[in-house]
Amino acid sequence: MMPLRRFAMHQPKSVAEASQMLAEFGEKGRLYAGGTELLLAMKHDLLRYEHLIDVKTIPGLNKIELKNGTLNIGGAATHRAIEHSPAVKENLPVLAQMENNVANVRVRASGTLGGNLCFAEPHSDPAALLLALGAKAHLQAKSVRRTVTIDKLITGSYETSLGADELLEGIEIPLAGKSQRAAYVKFQLKERPTLGLALVLDVDGDNIKKAKAVVGSVSPMPTESDKANGLLTGSRAQVEKQLLDAAGALAQAADPVDDLEGGADYKRHLIGVFLKRAFIKALA
Amino acid sequence: MSAEKKPDFHVVNHAVPRRDARVKVTGKAQYVADLKLIGMAYAKVLRSPYAHAKILSIDASRATAHPGVYCVVTGNDLEGLNPYYGHAVKDHPLLAIDKVRYAGEAVAAVVAVDERTAFEALELIDVKYEELNAVFTPQEAMAEDAPLLHEKQFEAGALRGFEGEVTAGKGSNICQKHHIKWGNVEEAFKNAAAVVEGDYYFPMTYAYAMEAYVAIADVTDQGVNIYSSAQHPFMVRHDLKSVFNLPVSKVRLIVPFVGGGYGSKSYTKIEPLVAACSWKAKRPVKLQLTVEEAMLTTRSDDAYTWMRTAVDANGKIIARQAKIFMNTGAYAENSPLVVEKSTNRCVGPYAIPNVLIENCSLYTNTVPASSYRGFGCAQVTLPGESQIDELAAKIGKDPYEFRLANAAKPGEEFFPGMRPFDGTLKQDLDTAARAIGWNTPLAKGHGRGVACSGSDAGAYPLTSTVVRVHADGSVTIMTGSTELGQGSHTVLPQIAAEELGVDFDKVNVVSSDTAITPYDRSTGASRTTTLMGSAVLEASREAIQQMVVMAADVLKVKVEDIQTVRGGVRCGEAQLNWSEVISKFYALPDGEVIGRSYIRKSGRFSALPVFWEAAATGVEISVDQETGKITMEKLATVGDVGLAINPALAEGQDIGAATMGMGIGLFEELIYEGSQLVNGSILDYRLPRFSDLPKEVELHLVQNQDGVGPYGAKGGGEASLNSMAANIANAVDRATGVRIRHAPLTPEKVWRALKDKNIQGSKV
Ligand SMILES: Cc1cc2nc3c(=O)[nH]c(=O)nc-3n(C[C@H](O)[C@H](O)[C@H](O)COP(=O)(O)OP(=O)(O)OC[C@H]3O[C@@H](n4cnc5c(N)ncnc54)[C@H](O)[C@@H]3O)c2cc1C
Repeated sequence: MMPLRRFAMHQPKSVAEASQMLAEFGEKGRLYAGGTELLLAMKHDLLRYEHLIDVKTIPGLNKIELKNGTLNIGGAATHRAIEHSPAVKENLPVLAQMENNVANVRVRASGTLGGNLCFAEPHSDPAALLLALGAKAHLQAKSVRRTVTIDKLITGSYETSLGADELLEGIEIPLAGKSQRAAYVKFQLKERPTLGLALVLDVDGDNIKKAKAVVGSVSPMPTESDKANGLLTGSRAQVEKQLLDAAGALAQAADPVDDLEGGADYKRHLIGVFLKRAFIKALA
Repeated sequence: MSAEKKPDFHVVNHAVPRRDARVKVTGKAQYVADLKLIGMAYAKVLRSPYAHAKILSIDASRATAHPGVYCVVTGNDLEGLNPYYGHAVKDHPLLAIDKVRYAGEAVAAVVAVDERTAFEALELIDVKYEELNAVFTPQEAMAEDAPLLHEKQFEAGALRGFEGEVTAGKGSNICQKHHIKWGNVEEAFKNAAAVVEGDYYFPMTYAYAMEAYVAIADVTDQGVNIYSSAQHPFMVRHDLKSVFNLPVSKVRLIVPFVGGGYGSKSYTKIEPLVAACSWKAKRPVKLQLTVEEAMLTTRSDDAYTWMRTAVDANGKIIARQAKIFMNTGAYAENSPLVVEKSTNRCVGPYAIPNVLIENCSLYTNTVPASSYRGFGCAQVTLPGESQIDELAAKIGKDPYEFRLANAAKPGEEFFPGMRPFDGTLKQDLDTAARAIGWNTPLAKGHGRGVACSGSDAGAYPLTSTVVRVHADGSVTIMTGSTELGQGSHTVLPQIAAEELGVDFDKVNVVSSDTAITPYDRSTGASRTTTLMGSAVLEASREAIQQMVVMAADVLKVKVEDIQTVRGGVRCGEAQLNWSEVISKFYALPDGEVIGRSYIRKSGRFSALPVFWEAAATGVEISVDQETGKITMEKLATVGDVGLAINPALAEGQDIGAATMGMGIGLFEELIYEGSQLVNGSILDYRLPRFSDLPKEVELHLVQNQDGVGPYGAKGGGEASLNSMAANIANAVDRATGVRIRHAPLTPEKVWRALKDKNIQGSKV
């Protein structure tokens, strides 16, 4: 880490104003929320910006609220705020529990959900879980708004579909009824997860009607597999027998890479281990 | 949980609260980073992107012209200085000269009005390189066609810390060679009842300290003044004296609090560079490295060890042989001594009649390796203590019983020519075994280990001190020992307070200023309590002798009639405390008495090592067989410290060392991919966390007052590290039946070993 290079800080009062600033500064400007990614990368001299646009000054961008059966989380809500939000804890405990295990308390206190998703660092816990939960991202550029699913927001390692002047305004998560069972489990030795596995099931007694398994951190983007999801539906007993095949399908879709977190074969193996653990946890 | 308090002590052997606790936790303690001199400039360093390259040219003109820059220093600007330093081998240029030898080596420094400006100017320096072939492992460095890192012949440093020759600079990449030999190993292995043999690897590790290297230099016509985060100010003074060709009296090293060392702050690091910056900029200059830069400055020697150990039919260890290749990186630093120490420490604390250990360290194009807590012992205790368990398993013995049967006994001269063993390993091992419930049933997937180590510690005994007793009865200790968190500034006044019979709170410590405090060789090798502690004790007694003479003068009696009592003297009815003695002697309520002490290699310190640093650790672990992840379930440390001057501090050192050793056992490793260190930041280099420690931790001290230090004390603080990696590997073997000989035992490595075992198992 080196001293930060000189930059100017801007404090927009609305999303539109922030978007305007992004357009004006172009390559020299970047949005700044908690700074836990951005400032670190700047201190390592991996990124350089002359203008930082602080999204935390935009009123309301950090709110967390329930609306028409959906949970809405503002782009600037911190991990810690989400982790401790009564609305989240009551209605989507799996999200609160996942957030509770993101990073350390200092990073959670300043790091935001928006910053996590928009940096698109491949080892993201929220990205995997939100994809499994069917969350949508509301994006806004000046006065133009659009909504995309998580897999359309994160398009690669450190890559998103955000336009040059676009902000993540918030995330909307559908709240399924009582039939939803969800679990998020992860394997982590270092600062970032080696693997995260999200499993969201829709159950009716012993029958699993719908399933969505997402593996994160093992490849550039969180991945799901229709084949795996198919193998995860049916009677519980039958699904239990198919868990390894489902894991195989998921591993094939994710196509893990060799890196400092581990060899690809190890990660493929871990997908099986953690799919089983997620399954047991979800149905516990 | 300490042994029972020895009843006769007033201050020592009590867990008085550490002196620096309050200032440190309230942020008031001053470190070099907090200091600012008038007119001070700031330096930043340009580092080599190449592992091995010729420097064709350096154009610093644009950087020099950058607003706010005072000057740029390169290897071409050092005329007038002796730019090569090193207490063991003078192989290290303070900035790369003509070529670079590792990626990350300092090539130029910018001195500017502030740190940011200096940093901004770095990219304006244009360096042209011609890449050379590079070597990264000892094996590559030994190859016939290996490129030579150092072409020059080197002078051996006078303060290298050992008597043997220096091997470096003789036309190969060999940095240092050492061997020990007694008995006849070939014969012994032929006649052995059982033998184990294996290849082991101890990883490159970084001695993470919260404070990275930082120094301020002020070089003037008057001499060289430096504030630095250095463990051994006098050693650094010696290097600077030679860089600037000055008498030692004109080189002043001042060391305020040091934010942790663990070996990494021993010997000279950035001081010559920052001094050269000040010399050229003609003003005080501060250089503060980042953690990432510190990781490019020093590391531990990684070690490839082939070892075999043999027993006879009675379960007595009869022979050990090892060949070790250490990777010392681009510069020797303190590695020649690490080589000598790791060679000795291969024997372990065992009485083995036939021994042959050959050790060779090689220069490679990687970060220079140097001292690391445990000093070469951890590197070889991984193979050594692994083989004790492997051998026990092979002959069907309980590894703990097997250790007891072979461990050196108190007073035994188990290492020919060295001080007889001064610890009690049986008690150490017993205590560790009991603490982790050695004989209680093990849960499935769990394994236990008890292991020990004994190192020839204390370094060279050369230490002096002054204890000043003031007319108001308060005391100042002048010590060259550095407080780097180990608690020396609490322990030393405890000893003075005990001897002089004054309140602990009235004893102050002034330390680590080479212009003021008397000479102390170093603050390392666990030597301070033993050596500086003895010096403080003797200086206190010498002050008392002087005050007895003064009291006789004051009371107009014969010296023989004066009787000392706690805190003063008595003669018949008359009783005077030290304050009264001094005030009456000078006839003024001011003035002082100066007690002195010099310790050298003579008397009870004539035998080396100064003491054997012995400890045992016990662990219980569990293994997640699906992921390979190891969880620590129990940990016990047993420090065989003779007498704990401060039991809480001694235990604190032990848990710290064991945690560091656990890190090596579980996950710490610097990783090179090609020429680059790829996890050189604490985001990627996994350090131990509190949450890695088990819930059940027991800290024990064995206090038999069998050391040469004050009241029978001897050093501690490193030993609990040494056996931890082997202990974890041994426990994993007991839990899973797989033997892993390469540290760290990461989940992936354990998983692969389990997988291989299962594949082999299913083939049978
Ligand atoms: C030590 C450490 C450990 C970590 N461990 C984990 C972990 O275990 N699991 C995990 O998932 N993550 C982990 N992280 C990542 C952490 O979650 C992110 O650093 C954090 O959430 C980023 O948020 P921020 O507000 O700090 O983003 P910033 O650093 O401020 O911004 C990051 C990026 O997002 C952009 N951005 C920010 N807000 C918006 C917005 N509203 N619209 C569009 N773009 C925006 C910025 O322009 C920037 O490019 C860890 C990080 C650290 C430093």
